[in-house]
Amino acid sequence: MLSALPEAISILLSLEGLLVLTLGTILGIVLGAMPGIGSTVAVAIILPFTLTMSQAPAIILLLAVYAGSVYGGSIAAILINTPGTPQSAATCLDGYPMAQRGEAGLALGWATVASVIGGLVSAVVLIFAAPQLAALALEFGPIETFSLILLGMTCIVSVSTGSVVKGLLAGMIGIFLSTVGGDPILGEMRFTFGNWQLFAGFNLLAVVIGVFALSEVFIRASNQISTVSELVSFNGVVLPRMKMWKGRVRNLAKSVAIGNVIGVLPGTGAATAAFISYAEGRRSSRNGGGFGKGEPDGIVSSEAANNAVTGGALVPTMALGIPGDAITAVMLATLTLHGITPGPKLVEDNPTLIAAIFAGFFIINLLLLPLGMLLSRVAAPILRIREAFMMTAIVILCVVGIYFVRGNPFDLLVMGGAGVVGFLMRRQGFPMAPLVIGMVLGPTLELTLRQGLILTDGSFPAFFTGHPIALVLGLAAVAALLLPLVRSMRKGTVG
Amino acid sequence: MQRVTNERVLVQIGLLIVAVALFASTFGQQFSSADLAQSPMFFPRVILILWMGLGLIALLQSIRSDERTTKIDSWPRMAVVLVAALIYTNVVASEGFFLPSVGFAIVCLLAFGIRRPWLLILFALLVPGALVVLFNHTLGMPLPTSRFTYLF
Repeated sequence: MLSALPEAISILLSLEGLLVLTLGTILGIVLGAMPGIGSTVAVAIILPFTLTMSQAPAIILLLAVYAGSVYGGSIAAILINTPGTPQSAATCLDGYPMAQRGEAGLALGWATVASVIGGLVSAVVLIFAAPQLAALALEFGPIETFSLILLGMTCIVSVSTGSVVKGLLAGMIGIFLSTVGGDPILGEMRFTFGNWQLFAGFNLLAVVIGVFALSEVFIRASNQISTVSELVSFNGVVLPRMKMWKGRVRNLAKSVAIGNVIGVLPGTGAATAAFISYAEGRRSSRNGGGFGKGEPDGIVSSEAANNAVTGGALVPTMALGIPGDAITAVMLATLTLHGITPGPKLVEDNPTLIAAIFAGFFIINLLLLPLGMLLSRVAAPILRIREAFMMTAIVILCVVGIYFVRGNPFDLLVMGGAGVVGFLMRRQGFPMAPLVIGMVLGPTLELTLRQGLILTDGSFPAFFTGHPIALVLGLAAVAALLLPLVRSMRKGTVG
Repeated sequence: MQRVTNERVLVQIGLLIVAVALFASTFGQQFSSADLAQSPMFFPRVILILWMGLGLIALLQSIRSDERTTKIDSWPRMAVVLVAALIYTNVVASEGFFLPSVGFAIVCLLAFGIRRPWLLILFALLVPGALVVLFNHTLGMPLPTSRFTYLF
């Protein structure tokens, strides 16, 4: 494949190649920043335009939109507490508090640098370690994945600001919401109470936007006029200085590694990676105590991991023909539409195309830095408009975004309901992040638990006796859950 | 007595009742498999038991604590925005995107204190109008249209 690199680079540096790389990244950032559009919809919007293009530019355009949209999601998450994509929900936890205390530019700077580094490393990993990572992915069965998700779930404790019990309760409500609709193994309906619109379950993004964005609008409407006029101040991206990285590089490296490994595992995705990385960052970072209150390491953990997923997710898609999530499934469909058969022989049969994809992916991540800074700067004047206009526009944009996810009007009702419930729960001191984590990780947790029980004839202890990877991950999960609880019990702050 | 009837405690009781009702609803339903792992209700029951347990602890904590909910400074504005948003999300599918958006924008802006008529009307027409032009007529991804015309 490396021998085909010069030819691949000449394709990328042609006028068409450069245009596709730049426009795709810009479109991705813009679409990703719009609440509700998300990576999958962004890639799906662009897909029809690629059908008239030749193979390499078509795939690179989609890759640029994909990588750009993952980064773009963080812009809305930090500036208006509305995750543009589910994978940037974890970025809200520290990004918005930083913005509220007047550091929106710096928060976006951390997000930009972490995203670029996460994406660049994942591109290198994609080039050199694709076969090894594909082999690792095959080691992960349902039991190992269950343990991994269990470890990710422990971040509920770490993001439960104020009350661990309320955080865990919100997490359980989130997991429960994810069980509504079709059963993942038998397909039988649960908790639909005869309402056919619940057959597909609650739409994740409708709930996320409801509890984060809509409830925020209600909270601001309930505040005094004097505070109503307060908005985050933002004058453009401020990149973190070198000395600010002191003590954070290890967390960055760990987050990138987590993103790459989780990206490779089918059925997990960037949102899962972001939350697992966030939990690990909270546990191991020397700044872990500040997570949830506007700590840059929280942004780094989330953004580095969710961008690192983009490269990792391409490994099983291309090397095995197994899409890791909805976005890579769309990418797989595009490859097939262009007459390319993904699988173990893909690299051997199409060396130039694969080299162009891998090199293009590297360039896209390089472009994220200048384009991200430029486009965020464009967003600055928008944020200076009066809060009345901003709140109204947020609700209207949320409606548009949610409608486009599935074209299902029921999702709008879910968003409205989630907004009211989120408003009421936030008033009682319930953190909303655990609810979202529960909804994101719940479906995989249930599916892998039940698949594992079927494999072990209903024996839960057998999960850990014959599966060393699961045992290590399981022990890490127990430690991650108990240590903060014991610590807060000592301090008397469990409640 | 005041501690038992405050909003925090009432919300906790509501959450607990919902969990108990959902747990009760998992019994008496017929599924094709009753095996532990294959039963569709196995996982939700585990989660609901945890929900009920945590809900009970949270309720007891709320009764014991003196903590109060955040004060609402403007009930009328909050109520107007909340009701308008709920009506808006309900009618978009049947009445189209444009007209309900214009209505919602006017109500919401008035509630937030915007009083200049030209500013109200300009914003209320411009933002939904731009979105209709972008999605319906440029990207070819139609938003719901009204019963009066297919254009918006």
